[in-house]
Amino acid sequence: MKTNQKKAWFFLAPTIIFVTLFSIYPILRAFGMSFQSGSLIDLRWTGFSNYQYIFKDPEFWLAIKNTVLYAIISVPVGLAISIMLAWIIFDKVKHKSFFETTFFMPYVTSTIAIGIVFRYIFNGDYGMLNFVLRCLHLHAPDWIDDPAMSLTTIIIFGIWSSLAFNIVILMGALRNIDPNFYTIADMFGASGRDKFWRITMPELVPTITFLLTMNVIGAFKIYTSVYALFNGQAGVGNSGTTAVFYIYNKFQIVGTPGVAMAATVVLFLIILFATFLQRKMMKKIGEY
Amino acid sequence: MNFGKKLAALAVAGLALVGTVACSNNSNSSSSSSNKIPKVTKKTTVVFWHGMQGAQEKTLKSLAQDFENKNPKIKIKLEQQGDYDNLQSKITSTLQSPKNLPTITQAYPGWLESAAKNKMLVDLKPYINNKDVGWGSVAASGIKQDMLNGAQIKGTQYGIPFNKSIEVLIYNPKMLKEYGITKVPTTMSEVKKAAQTIYQKSNRKVVGAGFDDLDNYYVLGMKNQGENFSSKIDFTGTKSRKLLNYFINGEKAGYFRMPGSDKYLYIPFTNQKLAMFVTSSSTETWIKQAAKKGFTYEVAARPSKYTMSQGTDIYMFSHASAMQKAAAFKFMKYLSSKDGQIKWAKETGYIPVNETATKSDEYKANKDFKLPAKLEDILNSNSLYSVPVIKDSSATYSQLTPIMQSILSAAQKNRNVEKAITTGKNKFDAAWKQ
Repeated sequence: MKTNQKKAWFFLAPTIIFVTLFSIYPILRAFGMSFQSGSLIDLRWTGFSNYQYIFKDPEFWLAIKNTVLYAIISVPVGLAISIMLAWIIFDKVKHKSFFETTFFMPYVTSTIAIGIVFRYIFNGDYGMLNFVLRCLHLHAPDWIDDPAMSLTTIIIFGIWSSLAFNIVILMGALRNIDPNFYTIADMFGASGRDKFWRITMPELVPTITFLLTMNVIGAFKIYTSVYALFNGQAGVGNSGTTAVFYIYNKFQIVGTPGVAMAATVVLFLIILFATFLQRKMMKKIGEY
Repeated sequence: MNFGKKLAALAVAGLALVGTVACSNNSNSSSSSSNKIPKVTKKTTVVFWHGMQGAQEKTLKSLAQDFENKNPKIKIKLEQQGDYDNLQSKITSTLQSPKNLPTITQAYPGWLESAAKNKMLVDLKPYINNKDVGWGSVAASGIKQDMLNGAQIKGTQYGIPFNKSIEVLIYNPKMLKEYGITKVPTTMSEVKKAAQTIYQKSNRKVVGAGFDDLDNYYVLGMKNQGENFSSKIDFTGTKSRKLLNYFINGEKAGYFRMPGSDKYLYIPFTNQKLAMFVTSSSTETWIKQAAKKGFTYEVAARPSKYTMSQGTDIYMFSHASAMQKAAAFKFMKYLSSKDGQIKWAKETGYIPVNETATKSDEYKANKDFKLPAKLEDILNSNSLYSVPVIKDSSATYSQLTPIMQSILSAAQKNRNVEKAITTGKNKFDAAWKQ
């Protein structure tokens, strides 16, 4: 038993050292820095003043509000559309592999490149989206330059770009469902709807839980798509600012790493809480 | 179990080591510029971080090449760091490990406030006064005094001005004539009047005037009313309100505009959707690139007493060897010299930092740009102002654009402007207390 443990420690040592140095230490350092003020080369202990600052800063609250709204809206909607599309491709479409490849393409393309293309599609004056909307005699909003539309634009882009990964994973999960389930269901005269809700969905729960966790964490860390959509800024008047944008700005541009780290700690706690809540919820759903 | 303890001890020791390394960066080498400035007798490499792109980078490379030809012992290693934001963040994060810093860098003084405080920059006065690597005196350098003052941090001359521009009014003379504007506006009230006329006479198709840099609009607007940029400014006070309302009314009525997500107004200007705009003098390069054949434009002084002196200076870090510093200063001297500045200004559209270059016939005769022939007159009618290097000024200045964007877009979309101003005030005040 003892020798076994020694060996285990030995084999685990590289991982433990790397994880300690590159994951645990930065987290502890970030936590420590959140109680320090001054520039990176001149840090001094300052107590809770960074936390006091961010809680009073309207920009921080806007960033948190935008990030939470983005996560709450884009993740479930994106996932629902992904399930629907994956099911359609799996169940009703011929040449599955062609569609699968098409849907997967955005995932392997750079977000910055896609963001730039979308910036032109969304342009209020000459964008393709507004051209189509005008042809249909619908209201054509200023997607990019109107601060009130910034978050909506980010959410639409977020949903669209999340589809690729989700669909491919869901297709894999759909293929793994035992076809005998459906054969037996057919023998008992089950309708398409029954089969979907009583066989497909319960079988998909573990995959959906995984995707939900990944998507929620990803949503809280949103940065690149905002950067690309709004040409390097967080929308007109910083209206589309997100938590990571706020952290980056405070750390690199304003030069107050303590404030940035305080915001990082708050974001870390929010993600931790959201993931915990969501896992609890999915566990409950899985029990049914 | 013992092994486990040992491993834990090892991990703790590892952490302590990392901590020590991290902490040891704080105690950096001394900054004092050495009293003896050596002659460059050995092969020396100078690393220069910059944020120049396109034609500007090309000219910088050619200037470095010229310098190397004249000084065969010195090698200039140009390292492009992306745009200004990237350059700033690269400097900020590298200040932690001074050995990885370049010999010299392009920067705004506000970015280096903490570096100066921690003695990581070289005081350049002894170099300026040195007859071998420098000019022998400030006066002999020929560099404009207000630009040199702008490259000081708390009274110490840490920087030498390099790529400078000022805010000017760029207008479309054909359009002004077409809509009956006979005199180019020289005051802000004349700008407003002309803009209203153009907007009305063009059946609301041409916006009268615009302001490219909203941060400069605010800072200069306050300075022109006698208020320096500082935390004492009351964002909802009378002077600030007057300044905000001037633009708000224009946005509401449609005769003024700010840049959108395209960031710069030269695009609507060259598409003839905008008749004039206040912008950086270096915008000329972009207008020339975007304009179609036959498009004409002219440059005039910013219609106010003060205009912005913007653009970066070159700063030297203290970790370099004495010979590297001497070699680097020689290069800085070359870049800011009459010949260097004439070439730089001619090919990039920046204004010369050197008085003799500005007055030279060679510069004035440059027909590629409109500014050279008018620069002397413009500098006579405008006084230069730059963002003061005080605590949080750089951070607050960078907040002004989003604050102004929120207020002006509320005005443009007929939403609650007052709410946007109140939020703006909170953000403005918070920015001064980072």
